[in-house]
Amino acid sequence: MSTQSVATVRKVLGFSIPWNPQHLLKQIKKNYWSYLFLLPMAVLVGLFVIYPMVASVHITLYDWNGIGNPTRFVGLRHFFTVARDGLFWNAVKHTFTYALVLVPIQLTLALALALVLNNPRLKGSTVYRAVFFSPVVTSAALVGVVVSLLLSSSGMNLSMALVDAGIISSPIDWLGDPRFSLAAVIGVGIWHTLGYNLVYFLAALQSIPKELYEAADLDGANAWQQFTKVTVPMLREVGAVIVFLAILGSLQVFDLVLVMTGGGPYFSSEVVSTYIYHYAFTPASIQVESNVGYASAAALFMGLLVMGITAMQLVAVKYAHERRAEIK
Amino acid sequence: MAIKIIPAGKFPALRLNRRAASLLTHAILIVLGFVYTYPFLWIFASSFKTPGEFFSSGLSLIPRQLNLNNYVYAWQTGHFDTYFFNTVITTVATTLIVILLTSMAGYVLSKTSFPGKKVFIGGILVLMFLPAGYTIIPTFELVQKLGLLNSLLGIIVVQAAGGLIFNTLLFMGYFATIGKEVEEAALVDGANLPRIYWYVMLPMAKPMIATVGLFQFMINWNSFWIPLVFTLGNEKLRTLAVGLYAFVGENSTGWTYVSAGAVMSVIPILILFFFLQRYFIEAVAGAIKG
Repeated sequence: MSTQSVATVRKVLGFSIPWNPQHLLKQIKKNYWSYLFLLPMAVLVGLFVIYPMVASVHITLYDWNGIGNPTRFVGLRHFFTVARDGLFWNAVKHTFTYALVLVPIQLTLALALALVLNNPRLKGSTVYRAVFFSPVVTSAALVGVVVSLLLSSSGMNLSMALVDAGIISSPIDWLGDPRFSLAAVIGVGIWHTLGYNLVYFLAALQSIPKELYEAADLDGANAWQQFTKVTVPMLREVGAVIVFLAILGSLQVFDLVLVMTGGGPYFSSEVVSTYIYHYAFTPASIQVESNVGYASAAALFMGLLVMGITAMQLVAVKYAHERRAEIK
Repeated sequence: MAIKIIPAGKFPALRLNRRAASLLTHAILIVLGFVYTYPFLWIFASSFKTPGEFFSSGLSLIPRQLNLNNYVYAWQTGHFDTYFFNTVITTVATTLIVILLTSMAGYVLSKTSFPGKKVFIGGILVLMFLPAGYTIIPTFELVQKLGLLNSLLGIIVVQAAGGLIFNTLLFMGYFATIGKEVEEAALVDGANLPRIYWYVMLPMAKPMIATVGLFQFMINWNSFWIPLVFTLGNEKLRTLAVGLYAFVGENSTGWTYVSAGAVMSVIPILILFFFLQRYFIEAVAGAIKG
């Protein structure tokens, strides 16, 4: 190892001391409490976060029904099967449809609401904020159950009202009709987590310096110009993070779909996470037999896809950050 | 949004306009708010209805009488007593474990220096950006091998592990803002590291403990995917969310019982939110600021 690389390694490892094994040992001994304090956290993370990531790669290489040790090595075959499975791509398509429809609608509504509630002269804005935030504190499973009940009790009334109003020609079975099941789940998804984005946007709006508006005011900018020339550019950085969190969250949708439709009818609302769940954990109902290796391959496939999107978004956030710095 | 302040006295018409606009805003917000919370109000009303009433007066929010049979049935026959107990145990245990472990790690990572510290922090940052939701299968196998499958402990450790990375970073950031003098004063008194952590640092971190605790409580009370997968083999270990899901499947006709079950699983978290809503919202807003 060259002197330079030794220096780099030492820098990375955080030594401010000359390279000396005895000294290092002394440092380690001296700081034993620090290591002991990290130990419980490190053990749990190692076991239940890092190990599963590594093991999930290993499992994909085997044919395995989940009982005992995986024995039949199949190499990369599962990946080829996944890539050729129409139902998998169907689930991928629904997952992205879910994210790409939900995120723009939800963020637009949340931003509009945040702009209204951010008005300092609006009385009771904290009460409204709490009202619109309240679905967030409840579980997606509960929301799914409540909406299913509501639709089974009154979904008929709702669609009959739409028929009477001449909007649709025949009553709709919201969750039981393959044409509407995914749309119904998306609609409920928008309602359920809008509160998060409302609060994010409110926090972001409040962080914009008041002087910028005062200056724009002096320049004679109207409300719309202030919105496009001050608010939007100043929101770009936090906005990128909000979009990023919203996309990541919606790509992992599971509870809502499983509880509301179970991915059906006829796979019309199946997303990747329910697809994986069905393969790995419910052998009897849909698939012939559970194949954990196959399900892991599908999971890894999707995980890599999500990681790619994450990397792209990190670049976007960095770009927005630089733009904001320019404005300042 | 800053709107030009015009002395209202000079322009009475404008003042009237502004009042009308404000009234209209409130009217719209109230209607929206009602529609927004309607599902909760409706499920609450439905939990008191009889099955016949449930279908005949579908959308009404006022039950004909306060009939508690649904609650009694859900609690006793529907096993919601067990589900409730399981949820309280797993939620409280997970929340305490996460607070303890992440505050310990956050403390030493921000206040002490030791060989390997930067590697450790780098590892945490990398893990922060790796998607975690796709590793349920090996996690399941590991829990099975450890003999923790079909036990509340299995749910607790897996859920707690999921909350460690992010919250360690939160505590690290928080402890970094505390000045050195506090610690040095304690060191002069001859206190060792665990004593400083427990008697000096932890009491000073109360606001962060509250934030992490509240958030963890909410996440764990509501979690579904992990308790679902880890209780597939034992109905007695279901949490409220999982029990409710199963209850729907098993009682495809007993909608009013399901309503009562739903109310029981949501009331504790809504009450908590009602009293602590400012902190909930600040905790969420804080996540984006940092």
